[in-house]
Amino acid sequence: MVLPLPSVPFNLSDRKILAVDDDRVNLRILRGILTKEGYTAAEANTGERALELYAEFRPHLVLLDVMMSGIDGFETCRRLKSKYGEKCAPIIFVTAKNDSEDVVEGLAAGGADYLPKPFQPKEVAARIRTHLQNQYLAEQQHLLVDQLSKANAAKNRFLGMAAHDLRNPLASIRGISEFLKAGTVGPMTPDQLDLIETIHSASQSMLQMVNELLDVATIEAGELKVNLQSEALDKLVSKCVALTNMEAAKKETKIIFEPPKESVSLRIDLAKIRQVVDNLLSNSVKYSPPGSIITALIWRSEGETHCNFAIRDQGPGIPDDERDKLFKDFSRLSVQPTGGEKSTGLGLAICRKIVEAHGGTIVAENLPDRGCEFRVSLPIT
Amino acid sequence: MNFAGKILLVDDEAHIRKYVSLIIKQLGKMTLFEAANGEDAIAAFQRERPQVVLLDVNMPKLGGIETLKRLKAIDPDCIVIMLTSLTNRETVEQALEHGAAHYIRKDTPKEEIAAALTETIDSATSPS
Repeated sequence: MVLPLPSVPFNLSDRKILAVDDDRVNLRILRGILTKEGYTAAEANTGERALELYAEFRPHLVLLDVMMSGIDGFETCRRLKSKYGEKCAPIIFVTAKNDSEDVVEGLAAGGADYLPKPFQPKEVAARIRTHLQNQYLAEQQHLLVDQLSKANAAKNRFLGMAAHDLRNPLASIRGISEFLKAGTVGPMTPDQLDLIETIHSASQSMLQMVNELLDVATIEAGELKVNLQSEALDKLVSKCVALTNMEAAKKETKIIFEPPKESVSLRIDLAKIRQVVDNLLSNSVKYSPPGSIITALIWRSEGETHCNFAIRDQGPGIPDDERDKLFKDFSRLSVQPTGGEKSTGLGLAICRKIVEAHGGTIVAENLPDRGCEFRVSLPIT
Repeated sequence: MNFAGKILLVDDEAHIRKYVSLIIKQLGKMTLFEAANGEDAIAAFQRERPQVVLLDVNMPKLGGIETLKRLKAIDPDCIVIMLTSLTNRETVEQALEHGAAHYIRKDTPKEEIAAALTETIDSATSPS
């Protein structure tokens, strides 16, 4: 999609201007200036008439006298602003009394600027042009923001659809390669097994990447919903640790879980918090050197308002200047996995969004000697 | 798995049928039939009268939910397990409302698919 860039048109003469003054001579002078500049002008000689005419004429700008019989310029301005709000055209006060109190009151009533009487035609034209240009740029900006957010939503829908449609074939490839590996359909030679193992691990990591893309698309579309139910966090973590330890064993790494003295039940979305726990655990294995000992622990905060879950790894820690990137979309740090594992750079961003959807927080801190601690804090309700 | 009857596998994607049929063959001595869309599924169902149907939700011609309704109209006792892509809660609820016994996400690891199939079929076919 190609977006038009905003530019200020040299010619703003299609713009409509409402001039309000109870003095006919002044109105005639203003009309002369406006017509010369090519604007379409309408005129009112009272505040009340100005309010009526504004509704019909829908001007791009209003020149408004202060001292008038009936409602004065300030009141007219306030009424226009309260009726049309942000969409109200800019209002420039015209005042013979060039004293600062008047100017201040006019600006306080919502005026954009003021013009002193008697008029200097060039000054009037220049001020009007400036405000019309500003207004035009603001309109263009609104238009652009609107188009960009629509384009972004379309991108997310596309991302979601693509990721969604890739999952099933990938799951089939992964599953079928598992059957081949297991010899279900007949014996394999070692070379064949090696190739099948490659197909399996490639499809597995691709499936994970696709799942992360889908999560991001879902979250960005504002469709992340948590279904809260009372669950025992320690049981969940214990299960996740046992599963991750099977993978960790390949790197001779071990995760030790220190459960709390008493089981902690929290209102959480089990599948989503499981995703967070799995992600943090697999990261800790991914970034710790082979042979590391990783610690996972759960404890209640002081006052028991929150439950904390932390993982301490033995990796290189987070470089100070990259700390801000850690929980953002697609932000891979300079730190590399130690076993050639893959990363989309989305995992921690997803974790943060899931934890925040639970009203919790997630932080990462380097440990004094080496490694770092990822800590999730969830409210106990 | 104690069940040793007929099972009908319905999915428009050939790779899914291949994959899931491998899982089913591992589970025991069932006789497996396949169909690639809802219309073929109903024809196969009437011909073979399987006790269990694994039914994809998103299919061309006749979708999973509509197929489920028709299967249940033919035989209210048939055990239908839906195969879904994502846990689309509305679709799942709709399927369960119309008599589906369970649902299984196709992208879950094969062990979990196998366990869910065994549990659902065994509990639905046990004599109690």
